[in-house]
Amino acid sequence: MIQIIDYGAGNIKSITNALKKLDENYAVITSPSQIRGDAKIIFPGVGAAGNAMDRLKENGFIEAIPRLKNMFLGICLGMQLLTEFSEEGMVKCLGIIKGKVDKFKNTPKVPQIGWNKVSFIKNDPLFNNIPDDSYFYFVNSYYVNADENYALGKTNYGDLFTSVVRNRNFYGVQFHPEKSAEIGLNLLNNFCKLC
Amino acid sequence: MLIIPAIDILKGKCVRLQQGDYSKVTEYNDDPFLVAKKFKELGAKNLHIIDLEGAKYGQILNKEKIMEIVEKLDLDVQVGGGIRTFDDARVLLGKGVKSIILGSSVFSDIDLIKRLVMVFGKEKIIISIDVKNGMVMMNGWRKNSMNSLDSVLTDVKNLGIETIIFTDIKSDGNLSGPNFDEIKKVLESGLKVIVAGGISSNEDVRELKELGVYGCIIGKAIYEGKINLKQCISENISMKSGLSKRIIPCMDIKDSRTVKGVNFENLKDAGDPVELAKFYSENGADELVFLDVTATIENRKTLYELVEKISENINIPFTVGGGIRTREDIRRLLNSGADKVAICSYAVINPEFIKAAAKDFGSQCIVVSIDAKRNNNRWDVYINGGRLNTRLDAIKFAKKMEFLGAGELLVNSLDRDGTKTGYDIELLRRISEAVNIPVIASSGAGNKKDFLKAFNEGRVDAALAASIFHYKKTTISEIKKYLSKNNITVRL
Repeated sequence: MIQIIDYGAGNIKSITNALKKLDENYAVITSPSQIRGDAKIIFPGVGAAGNAMDRLKENGFIEAIPRLKNMFLGICLGMQLLTEFSEEGMVKCLGIIKGKVDKFKNTPKVPQIGWNKVSFIKNDPLFNNIPDDSYFYFVNSYYVNADENYALGKTNYGDLFTSVVRNRNFYGVQFHPEKSAEIGLNLLNNFCKLC
Repeated sequence: MLIIPAIDILKGKCVRLQQGDYSKVTEYNDDPFLVAKKFKELGAKNLHIIDLEGAKYGQILNKEKIMEIVEKLDLDVQVGGGIRTFDDARVLLGKGVKSIILGSSVFSDIDLIKRLVMVFGKEKIIISIDVKNGMVMMNGWRKNSMNSLDSVLTDVKNLGIETIIFTDIKSDGNLSGPNFDEIKKVLESGLKVIVAGGISSNEDVRELKELGVYGCIIGKAIYEGKINLKQCISENISMKSGLSKRIIPCMDIKDSRTVKGVNFENLKDAGDPVELAKFYSENGADELVFLDVTATIENRKTLYELVEKISENINIPFTVGGGIRTREDIRRLLNSGADKVAICSYAVINPEFIKAAAKDFGSQCIVVSIDAKRNNNRWDVYINGGRLNTRLDAIKFAKKMEFLGAGELLVNSLDRDGTKTGYDIELLRRISEAVNIPVIASSGAGNKKDFLKAFNEGRVDAALAASIFHYKKTTISEIKKYLSKNNITVRL
């Protein structure tokens, strides 16, 4: 069972579409009390970090998320919120991944929109059957600058940044696996199949 | 590209041979495990282990040493040397070896390879092709198989293999640099090619990456300090931006059907936008754009239903445009599954709308579509499907849209639309240089060279086309291959 946290930051339709394609059972949840012990959690998000943190606070997720033992996948803003701090709005985040969120500096164009490569830093079951340097679809103006110990994958858009992170049961990906064609579905499938 | 440090084991020790000659042994360490551990500490994810005695005698003789590494270190390990039977393979793969390397058996036991591929999968089986003077060698490089490289490459492909290790024996172990000319030929086979032999500097590694090899096996150069493994691994992680240029087919929609003729034999119904969207997304499109050309209020509901259907059937991003005038229009399109919306006339009529939309939904999903027409030394912005000249300067308008929060600009040229005479490169370049958000070229694509020009001279980030794809004048993959050959980064 996959549970998707809907806290009003962005559209979850493409994620549910992808899970349908993978034949996974899923439910959309809006409160921490709905989290099941046996579920894997997907934490999406687009928009501004400050606004998203406010909404997480209103719904009681700020205290609940760091305590979870469930396998957990933050996507895009959902990944950025796992860090300690975001430069976007100078806001404190969930503090699960050591590191912070910075704005692109050495890039000609912001936001980054399009397909970029992910180079794997460590082996991980999340990458099963996915070739190193595969292309994934990114849309972001800010990026995660994570402590090296947490980095699973990196991407270069003028600045070299961490595009996949992990701490224990918490994963984060900066790109949108649900919009990254077959390779993205493979990654989501790997997450759904984690034990 | 995979960076694969190598460990060769002989009598339990970590050694290197020169050109496969068992009489030219250099010992590097008594304990291969410690070497592997060191490699991992330096950032290696992969490891190449050869049982040299195994290779010589045709059976695995250093299994304990190998398994200690595989079991204790979390590395993707490929193992070769002496694997001759189905059971050898089963035992190694069963214990966590990532893939096994077979060499000589290609010539002695084709059925074994077929069976291994069938049972364990092609990703588990690597064929090592060791070449001396254009001929493939076997049995620890000591015997000429009497097969040419070309014939072996063909055989290997026919066996369903996808990955090979190519070793130029003359280059091996003497740090003279790889045989790049030969490697280029091998790459033409379309197989995933891991190169071994002679890689002796970071420059060699860079060059192999440029050529598009799948991995490189480095041995002696690491042991002798010619290559700093840690630096090599970090350099291998894209040194420059890897963002690719996008190719975007565009579909005009009228009453839930694709208009502007579509000419496909292999689609059940070429007028069905869902079928067409699936076809393009499965054939290399990076994104899709749908424009509702009628855009009447009565049609809105059917448009939302169509968008929903499209989003259920493809998993690449898509933009929907046509007739958007309210935030409610945007909300409904996004909720139906669109990733972005394209706003055209209404961005001109009410520019503040762009600001409000960007604030509500985020700049990343607001594309402003500009219809421009050349008027002496400038370009005017047109609205209402090109019927009304607003006299606004297109370059200034583009900057204004960026300022108000547009995330991307889609630039159409009314002079070029439907002409297949190429994009209006000057218009594109002027706008691309004026703004710091991505620009999508549109109107006029007639052949693959037009795309190259749009990226190189027009400096755009994406190129859109309609009829050139619908009429199968060319395919997306053909364009991408051409662009890639001309040093444009594309997702192949």
